[in-house]
Formats: sequence, C-alpha cells, structure tokens
Amino acid sequence: MIKSLLLFHEPQVKKPFILTEDSGNVNSGNTNTGEDSAKTGENKEPSRRKKNENLLLKKVEKIKLTDRRERNQKDQKSDISRQLSENLKTIEERFSASLNGDLIIRQFDITVKDSTIAAFLVFFDGLVNTKVIDDDILQPLMLLSNLDIKGDRDDILKYIRSHILPHNQLKEVRTHQELIDEVYFGGCGLYIDGLDAAFAADVKDLPGRSVERPNNELVIRGPQEGFTENLRANTGLIRKRLMDQNLIAENIIIGNRSKTPCSIMYIKDIANETLVNEVKRRLKNIDVDYIMDTGELEQFIEDNPALPAPQMLATERPDRVCTMLAEGRVAIIMHGSPFALVVPITSNDIMYSAEDQFLRFPYSNLLRFIRILAILMSLLLPGIYLAITNYHHEMIPTDLLLAIMSAREKVPFPSVVEVFLMEISFELIREAGIRIPGPIGPTLGIIGALILGQAAVEANIVSPILIIVVAVTGLGSFAIPNFSAGFAFRILRFAFIMLAALSGFLGITVGLILIGLWMVSAKSFGVPYFAPIAPRTSGGFTDAIFKSPAWKQEKRPDYINAKQQKMQPRISRKWALANENNQAGGDNTGDQNG
Amino acid sequence: MKTTKPAVITRVIKMDRGKRLIAIIMLVAICPLLASCYDAREVDDLGFVIAMGLDRGKTNTLRMTLQIAKPMAGADGGSVGDDLPYEQFSVEAPAVFSGLNMINTFASKQISLTHLKVVVFSSELAREGLKPYLNAMLRGKEFRPNMPIVVARHTAEEYLQSVVPKLVTNAAKYYELVFQSYKYTGLIPKVEFHDFYLASKSPCRNPVAILGDAGKFLSAEEFDIKNSTYMDHHRSMPFEGDFFAGDIPALGGARAENVGLAVFEGDKMVGELDGTNTTMYLLCTGDYIHSYWTFPDPLAEGRYVLMNVKQSRKPKHRVEFVDGKPRIDIMLNLEGDLVAVQSDIDYETGDNSLVLESAAEDYIKDHVQKFLDKTINEFQSDICGFGAYARAHFMTWAEWEAYNWHTKYKDATFNLTVNFKVRRPGLILRSGTSEAMESRRDDQ
Repeated sequence: MIKSLLLFHEPQVKKPFILTEDSGNVNSGNTNTGEDSAKTGENKEPSRRKKNENLLLKKVEKIKLTDRRERNQKDQKSDISRQLSENLKTIEERFSASLNGDLIIRQFDITVKDSTIAAFLVFFDGLVNTKVIDDDILQPLMLLSNLDIKGDRDDILKYIRSHILPHNQLKEVRTHQELIDEVYFGGCGLYIDGLDAAFAADVKDLPGRSVERPNNELVIRGPQEGFTENLRANTGLIRKRLMDQNLIAENIIIGNRSKTPCSIMYIKDIANETLVNEVKRRLKNIDVDYIMDTGELEQFIEDNPALPAPQMLATERPDRVCTMLAEGRVAIIMHGSPFALVVPITSNDIMYSAEDQFLRFPYSNLLRFIRILAILMSLLLPGIYLAITNYHHEMIPTDLLLAIMSAREKVPFPSVVEVFLMEISFELIREAGIRIPGPIGPTLGIIGALILGQAAVEANIVSPILIIVVAVTGLGSFAIPNFSAGFAFRILRFAFIMLAALSGFLGITVGLILIGLWMVSAKSFGVPYFAPIAPRTSGGFTDAIFKSPAWKQEKRPDYINAKQQKMQPRISRKWALANENNQAGGDNTGDQNG
Repeated sequence: MKTTKPAVITRVIKMDRGKRLIAIIMLVAICPLLASCYDAREVDDLGFVIAMGLDRGKTNTLRMTLQIAKPMAGADGGSVGDDLPYEQFSVEAPAVFSGLNMINTFASKQISLTHLKVVVFSSELAREGLKPYLNAMLRGKEFRPNMPIVVARHTAEEYLQSVVPKLVTNAAKYYELVFQSYKYTGLIPKVEFHDFYLASKSPCRNPVAILGDAGKFLSAEEFDIKNSTYMDHHRSMPFEGDFFAGDIPALGGARAENVGLAVFEGDKMVGELDGTNTTMYLLCTGDYIHSYWTFPDPLAEGRYVLMNVKQSRKPKHRVEFVDGKPRIDIMLNLEGDLVAVQSDIDYETGDNSLVLESAAEDYIKDHVQKFLDKTINEFQSDICGFGAYARAHFMTWAEWEAYNWHTKYKDATFNLTVNFKVRRPGLILRSGTSEAMESRRDDQ
C-alpha cells in the first residue's frame, strides 16, 4: 500500500513461525504488572498509556513471543547423567568441541584412598583465569582430595562442595544448559563421574579495559572513573559508591543468541515499583538475536524512537548514575557496554553535566546559563541569520547591514546556498575529524574548518560573516553535554535553516511551535518530557533549570514519584545552628535518612 | 479468517498515527508551494536610502533627493576622503512614492526605505505646509517613527549634497550621531518624526524642526558675523549659539551645519530661531541635558566664566488663568560645574559663589524671557507645549477644543523662576594667589 510506503513504522515485532492459541504464563504476568500501578497509589501513567499498553499486550498475545523462548528451554532441559562419558559426549556436541579451538576439556582423575574417579573440566581459554583453575580446582581435586567414599552419593556432592573445592563462587547445577551458560560467562564446568549434578565455578577473567577516565564526560572537579565493558566491574563501581543496603541489582538476560547479561539497578525503598516493573517488562519483552551496546538497547525500549531528543541518559560516569539512583531513577547496565542507561529523564537532564553537582552553585549556574545559550545558538543561529538578512532588514543596525552588504557583494550565491554549503562542509569536517587518528583529530577538525572557511572567503565563495555564524554554531553544539542531544540539535538546525529561508521569522516560529508540541507531548517511561516545566509540578524546581545550592535540595523531583520525597531536612547544615546537639564527637549516621 | 483479524486491529492503530503524520507532512509540504520565499530579498539586492530631501520642483510638484548608502568595500580601509559613502540621486515627481519609482528606473538596486535616517524639507516647502508629505511618511510601514525632521534654509538638495562626513566611513552613522547633539550642545532641538506629527495636529502645542544649511564659508578669509544675532542679545560679540545654520564661521568637516530650529504653526513654518533661543527652548520643555555655557563674569569686565550647565530637575510648569488670559509659571532647576574662570577670581567659596549664582540666574532668566516673548510676539506659536498644562482647567475635551489655545497663546504672560546652583569647581578647588604675589600686583 502507498500508505505503508510513506509511513514510518515502529520496529515491528518479529512474527515467529508458529502461531498458537494458548497464552503463556508470562503474558498474564505482564498484565499483572500493568495493573500493579493501582497498588502503590502513585499512578503516574495516565490512562491513555494503559490503553496503549493493552493494545500492545493484545498484539503480544496474538504473536506469542515468549513461546519461542519456552520452546528453546524445553528442548535443552535435560538432566546431567551419572555417566561421565555421556556427559562428555553431550558437552562435546553442544559446544562443537571439534570446531571450537578455544574450548578446553581437561580430563583428570580425582584420587581417592584406593580408587580414582574420573572427572573433566570444561572452560573457554581466554575467558578464565587459568591460575585460579590450577590452584583452586585442579590442585585440591587431584592432589589433596581425601574422599571418604563410605558415604552416600549426595554426601559426596556436599563433601566436595563444602570441603574440597576452596573456591569462592561455586554453583551446583543439574541441567546442562545452566552449566553451558556459566561457561560462556567465564566459568569453568566440572563433571564428576557418578554424580548427577555438576559444578560451575566462576573463574572469570574477561579480557578488557581496566577502570580509566571516562572518555566523553570529562570534569575538572569530581571523580575520574568511568565504566568499563565488564558488567560486574560496573556494578561494583556503583556499589562502592552507594553502600545503601537497599540497592538492588537484578539480573536479566537480553538477546536470544548473544545472551547478554544486564543488570537493573535501583534503590528498593525509593524507586517507584511501577517504574521498575515497567523497565523489567520492556527488557524482558525484546525479541532479538544480538544486542551489542546500550545504544541499541536504548532504541529497543524507548517510547518515541523518532523524537529528536534522547529519552534515556547514557552516561559513562558511575557517580552520575549514583546520584540519579538516589533520586529514585533506575539504571540499566549491560555487559559489553561502558555506557549505562538511566531512566526516566526529562529535558533538563540533557542539559546537565556531571560537574554541576560538584561545583558551588554560582559557578554551576553560570555554566548552565552558557549551555542554554549554546543550545539556542546551535539550533537557531543560522536560521535567524537567514531570516534577518533575507526578510527582516529593518532589524539590523545600519552599520552591520552595510558591513554584510559589502561582504556579500562579491559572493555569487544567494545566502541560502551559502549557508547550506558552509553547514554541510562543517559537518563533513566534523565527521572526518573523528576518523583522523590520534589525539589531534578533533582539534584538527575545527581548525581545519576555520582555515577552510578562510580560504573560501578569500575565494569569494562565502562571506566572512557566515564563517563566524557557522563557527559559533558549531561551538555551541559542542558545548551541549549530552551526546545524543547534540546530534538532535544538529539535525534540527537544518530544518530551521529551510524554514527560515522559506518564511523568515514566521517559519522559525512555526518550527519552534511544532518541535515544542512534539517534545512536550513526549514521554520518557511515563514521565512527561518537559516536567517540571510543562506540566508544572511542585517541588521539582530546585534543580530544574538553575541549580540551588546543595544544601537546599530537599525533595526528590516530583515527577519521578519516588516512594520517599524528602532527601534532606530543611536545615542540612546542622553545624550552623547554635545548638548543643551538634558538637563534634559521635557519628552522624543515625541522623541521615536512608 | 483468523489471520485477518489481527491485521484489522493493527491497521487501526497505524491509521490514526498515519493520518496524523500524513496531515502534518502535507501541511508542511504545501506551505512552501503556496508562499515560498515570497518576501525574500538578499541584502545586496536592495539599496538602502539613508536620507531623503524634498524640495519644490521646477517641472513638477516635488524634487526628491535620495542618498543611498554605498557598502564600503571590505575592512581593507577603503579609500577615505575622496570617495563619498553614499550616492545621491534627484528626481522630479508628484509625490514621494512615485519619486521612488522614477529613481528605480536608473538605480539598479530596489529602493528600501527601512533605514531612512532623516528627512529634509526645504524652507519653501515648509512654509507652504507639510501635511501632504507627512501622511505618506506616517502611513508607510517602512518609515521609522524616530527619525529627525530637518528644514533646510535653502534647498534640501544643497543641504544633502554638502554632507561630506570626514570622521565616519558610514554615512548612516553620521546622521545617527549628528542629530543626537542636542544632548550635549543644546543648539538643536530634539525632534522625532512621530512627535512632530502629533504636535502638528495637537491643540496644545506646535512642532519644531531642526534648522540646517550648508556652511557658507569656504575659506578663513570669508569669515564674517554679519548674520549673527549677537546684537539682539545685547552682546559685543557672538556667543556660541548666536547663529543660524550655515552662518557659523567654521571650516572643515562635513559642510552641512545644524544650528537652531524652525518654528511651525500646525504644519506650516512661520519662522526661525537661532542657537541660543534653541537652548532656551530645550530648557523650557525639559529636553535639555547639558552643555557648556559662556557667562559674562559678574566681577570682571570683559571676561567670561564658562560653566557646564546641567538640568538638575525637570522644569515645573503651571498655567493659571488671570482675567481670561493665561499666566504661565515656569520654574527651572539648573546646576553648573565650573569649567573655566578666566579672571581667576575665586568663585568657589563664600559670597562670590552666591554672586556668580545670582548673575547666572539673571542671565538665564533674561534670555528665556526674550525667547518666550519672541514666540508670543513674532510667531504666536506655542512651541514649548504649555497648552498641555492648561488643559487641567477644563472639564471636558470639547470645552478645551472650543477654547482654542492657539489663538489665546499670544495673550499669555510669563512668570519665570530660575534656580541655579554651582556644584563642582572642577579640579581647582580654590583659585587664588599668595599674598605676596597679590601685594606685588597691587603695587604694579
């Protein structure tokens, strides 16, 4: 149909090749979480959203996503046999041992008083710490075991688990699939002849970066640690900052083939339960083969894929994630990606940098003001320049007008063509600058742009005023702290240039209204995108556009609907009170609310 | 049968959003087709007029002179001096906009009046009445309401041609700056077009215009002061304001001079006033800001005390009716900073300062009185706007209009008070000499 050619579709759910009639258990679980919102009493999702949810659920019901996963699990749910040779054969088959060069199967014998028991290890070379395997698994089993086989089979299991294997993470598994999953995540599987259970030890030493500075969010004042690609390292970085006993890190596996482990982190007695359930629901109901990075994940679970502004914050800094968790948001961390996603966010959050909370409030307010200016300039400056020089000549002071005239006398193109030319070449240079090797890349890009611009002016292709306009616009887009938002404004800038060239300020106004309408009606996980400005909520303003001092941030943002609203009492700096209670001595952990 | 059912449901969802999207796309795509770039003009396709002059024409009603700004080529410092920053065109036409059309027959760029800085009328045209031309300027969207109106003593074309700005490369800047000089010289009035138009229709006051002319003297040998009004002011030689435009003995710079004002009755010009009277006009209306005055020294003959006179408060006006005739009370509050005392007498302290102050008060009172008498006797035109203060005595607007202030103004009497205080002595706190020097001089 013509309509389907013209329309932009949301990514369609893939139809599986079997359509059945019965609804699985997971679906009813989904509807339950949808109705859960009544329980907490703080229902932030309006009824229209529930209607969409119900429609989506109907779709899901018809299409039966989960059926496939259940079927996969059924096929492979086989118990471990007591015969070691059978287990060996199963493992070799499942792992394609003849083809996989990095799979190691180590067969050995466990010495017992008078007999030997065969066993074998299976692990991936490159994912494991071989020293730990040698010292803590092979050595005790092969050299130091003193099995008393007088006891029962189960006793042997328990004996091995609690006495023989001095390893800190040991799991007893009864199905092959569980063990295979563990081995793939850097574990080491141990099969022992005669036992119908196997052991999976976590000996992972995944190759990867160590904790370094974050590449993209540099601050001067503040911690200089950034996430790495290792899931446990990332969750560890967060846990070491937020030693809250209610900090939960739930596990979820995403991706049918990549089986990427993800972690949903939230603080149990602050975060809204419906929010957490919604995040879990969305993550569990993605049907995809591979997910490589949180960038992809973001596209799968966001509300409005077409909105120019991002609806989730992708950050490399653990301290930023911790701050947001403490406000009641939920973080999604994925194995293999150094960017964590934080939901829900509003338009103000894309304007913050990580440093705002560490600086004193006059400095951070100045920086925010400059960022707002930068956003406005990067979006509107070429458009306004075009509108004024083409339509509204009376607005320029005569001096400037004559200067522009004399500059434009020699240029053969109309100003629209000039602006497009320069903007597109600036974008080309920026893109090329990313690929220039070494640290000089981006710097060279900007300087190259200016030099190129100068040369173009000398050749009378563009006028010098335009170079300044384009350069200031480019700088403004660099000043936006959020990477995705910067892109959004880069794209919208072109739309505004077109509009300004067509109808001057009227076009710009129409563009602003349309973009405003679109963004104001957008939601990020149930939270309106422009809260607390539109709709106006109470109490969200201490940090909305301009930041109040740190000791004045008393309430959590209202639109998050956290379980506990108060973050700080009205007077946080208790030492300033003339009071005998605030003498030095004694710790103050009792006073803080968790 | 079963497979079509989900298709129906899903298509319903798509349709709503699709309809919306299609509607938006079509609206956005149609707008450029309907009106695209309708009004767009590149800046270098337009010729911006910075000054317009209107004279009585020989073959037609009007001779219109336009000065169009030339963009100075680049920042390389285009040749200064010889090259005029504007081009001047003249054409004879029946009215303003037809003149624009005619000029466009030989000027390549489309004329745009959005940056018009000044309109100059010839005094011949002004004496006949400016109403027909004011209407075009008020109605046109392109005319800026804050531009000054100049009456040229001879022809506007001559006046405009004599503008050769030496200190600026941008002709528009020249016009912007030169008509702001009322703020610091007091020798031209503050005139803005919208104010001029309102005053020409108002029953309370009458408008004024700046008086301008091309300087007469081309070399120092030609200097003479026979046209100066210093005799009227009972002086032995002309002070800074005792001239009309064009008579100032000066050389160099742009030859166009602006001194004095043109007095109007309604929209017709009835007379001219020189620079000193213009200063008094500014004092009475309250638009005066500050300027340097020359006072004759009260204690030393032939010497002057120069002071920077500022308006410390706006003048207070009051109109009372005595025997049916208006009596206008004006109180002026001025302050002065000593700039030069040529006779070295210490006016800073003691009784001398009071002597100076009262002398200055008398001087100012004298001049203001002369100015006001002139408006009554010679022009019968209330240019200072005292009628606005007489309105309070009437209950309704119809009564006020029936009273017809313009005819009653000539019977008015004035009651002037001037408060003058010397505030700052400059950098010399006490002028005086040592006793030895004084005694030596006394001996001599």
